Amino acid sequence: MDMLLEEKHRAVRQSVRRFCEREIKPIAAEIDQEARFPWEVIEKMGRLGYFGIQVPESLGGANLDAVSYAIIVEEIARVSGAIALCVTVHNSVAVFPLLTFGTPDQIQKWVPPLARGEKIGAFCLTEPNAGSDAGGIEATAIADGDTFKVNANKVFVTNGGVADTCLIFCRINPSQDPSAARTGISVVVAERGTPGFTTGDLEDLCGMRANPVCSIRLSDCRVPKENLLGKAGNGLKIGLAALDTGRMGIAAQALGIAQAALEEGIRYANQRHQFGVPIARHASIQNMIADMATQVDAARLMVYRAALLKDKKQPFSKASAMAKLFAAETAAKVTDLAVQIHGGYGYSKAYPVERYYRDARVTRIYEGTSEIHRMVIAKSVLQEG
Amino acid sequence: MHSIVCIKSVVLSTPKGRMSRSPEKSVLNPFDRWALEMALQIKEAHGGTVTALSMGPPASESILREAMAMGVDQGVLLCDRAFAASDTLATSRSLTAAVRHLSPFDFLLFGVCAADSDTGQVGPQTASFLDIPMVGHVTRVESANGVFTLHRQLDGFLEQYELASPPVAMTIHPAAVEPRDPTLGALGTAFDSAFPITCLDIAAVGLEPRQVGVFGSPTRVLSVKPVDKKRVCEWIQGDPAIQADILVEKLVKAGLVG
Repeated sequence: MDMLLEEKHRAVRQSVRRFCEREIKPIAAEIDQEARFPWEVIEKMGRLGYFGIQVPESLGGANLDAVSYAIIVEEIARVSGAIALCVTVHNSVAVFPLLTFGTPDQIQKWVPPLARGEKIGAFCLTEPNAGSDAGGIEATAIADGDTFKVNANKVFVTNGGVADTCLIFCRINPSQDPSAARTGISVVVAERGTPGFTTGDLEDLCGMRANPVCSIRLSDCRVPKENLLGKAGNGLKIGLAALDTGRMGIAAQALGIAQAALEEGIRYANQRHQFGVPIARHASIQNMIADMATQVDAARLMVYRAALLKDKKQPFSKASAMAKLFAAETAAKVTDLAVQIHGGYGYSKAYPVERYYRDARVTRIYEGTSEIHRMVIAKSVLQEG
Repeated sequence: MHSIVCIKSVVLSTPKGRMSRSPEKSVLNPFDRWALEMALQIKEAHGGTVTALSMGPPASESILREAMAMGVDQGVLLCDRAFAASDTLATSRSLTAAVRHLSPFDFLLFGVCAADSDTGQVGPQTASFLDIPMVGHVTRVESANGVFTLHRQLDGFLEQYELASPPVAMTIHPAAVEPRDPTLGALGTAFDSAFPITCLDIAAVGLEPRQVGVFGSPTRVLSVKPVDKKRVCEWIQGDPAIQADILVEKLVKAGLVG
């Protein structure tokens, strides 16, 4: 593993781990159970650069590379999947598309407060009838003078309850422009506090409970026309570019959860005695630990490879799709085995593996399901053949 | 004000067999974090610069860069094959030469000990070689009308020392200050850019091979092995209040609390 990393990456990992173990680990179980977003920690993370990891220094960011980004998300997820989710979604599918597709004015306006963590970003694509098939988006933006009148019902918005700067995927003037009915998706940026912008109740989720996931509704919400991100009709391109980066973050998050489950599995297997010896001495447990360690190692290599490709400015879409698929499936398997090693205690909230097991489940669903990722990978591989 | 903080790269895990120092296994000695923070707070209060000085193999450069990410102005690595196998006396002699090379300075700071060897000797010995006053376990550095007062805490006592004038050496108590986290951006910059780490070999600081390393060390570590701790489980009977009383009494008698 270390052959892929530089000194800087090791220093970043050590520093982030020290912070996470001191500031997040002690409250991770509590914020999960109370479904509480820990502003006190988020503010500290903002000051340290966690909300602008790859943003240039001139815009208030930390200006780190993609490998550092993966390591940071992995380390946060090792103590709290929900906080890692907040950080990665904010960085990858909110800040990154603004930075990539925004005009200089838009970047100056939105990116610095996001990069400093003073504002939180959200990516609002999913609707009741549009998820894996983004073509089903029904949200509309009707041009009216200097503004768009936006109507949208966005669901399962990560960071939704606290997000200030929201990328809304919608169709501009669909009745006047028939082509927009299927393909013409655009992105407008809506800001909390604008009349007509409301958030729904928090979703009562199985895992990732400290993340304020909720619906965001825009009802005749007047958004200035200059808030259009990129060109009209370029929404899918923006979305796909964001998700290429986003899925690498989710892969790193799944990796961090799996790593935590592996560590807890090893710890418990050494500590728990049955039949007169630590259960780690039983072959059945050793087999589980061996599988867990191997899968986590493989997932880590894949995540770092995708990040390295991105840093080298080489195509990384397939590598990041593979990393996301494998890391998510690994997180599911490894957390399941960690629960198994713990036996009845693993099914209790008294041990953290119960939380890891719940948190891991969604990594196979969001930022593209495992099934969609297999489709993307198959398409890419078949084209190469 | 010029503060020099001596820091050490320590090995994370307990060695099995021969110990090798590699970057992935090494971290900044946790006790030195407080010394760095204290030096940075002195700089914030009185201006000046902070130098982080480390003696060790090239892998130690990493902790100097980390110190720079925390806000230290320059990192100096005292590095030479001749330093290998230095004991605390040879280490203190070497650091003394480097500190003289970096003089003038006002404060020379150390952690109270290193997490790996745990001797706590290098700070006091270096002060002794330099022939400057030394205050251990400092919790606070105050100044009024140009006079510095050092607070120290040890064994449940708080002491205050007035300082005639710098330079002074001190070790910093682990409860003295809250060490800052470097920002992610500062970490990236410290490791990425052409931030120079000054490397000094023995000739640069005016030392000769016979003064350092194995030749300059009157003590030699023959072996290090873990102690087999025999644990005995003792059951305390009675209702919980009585159990608690008995437990506290036993702990007090053992000198573990009180």
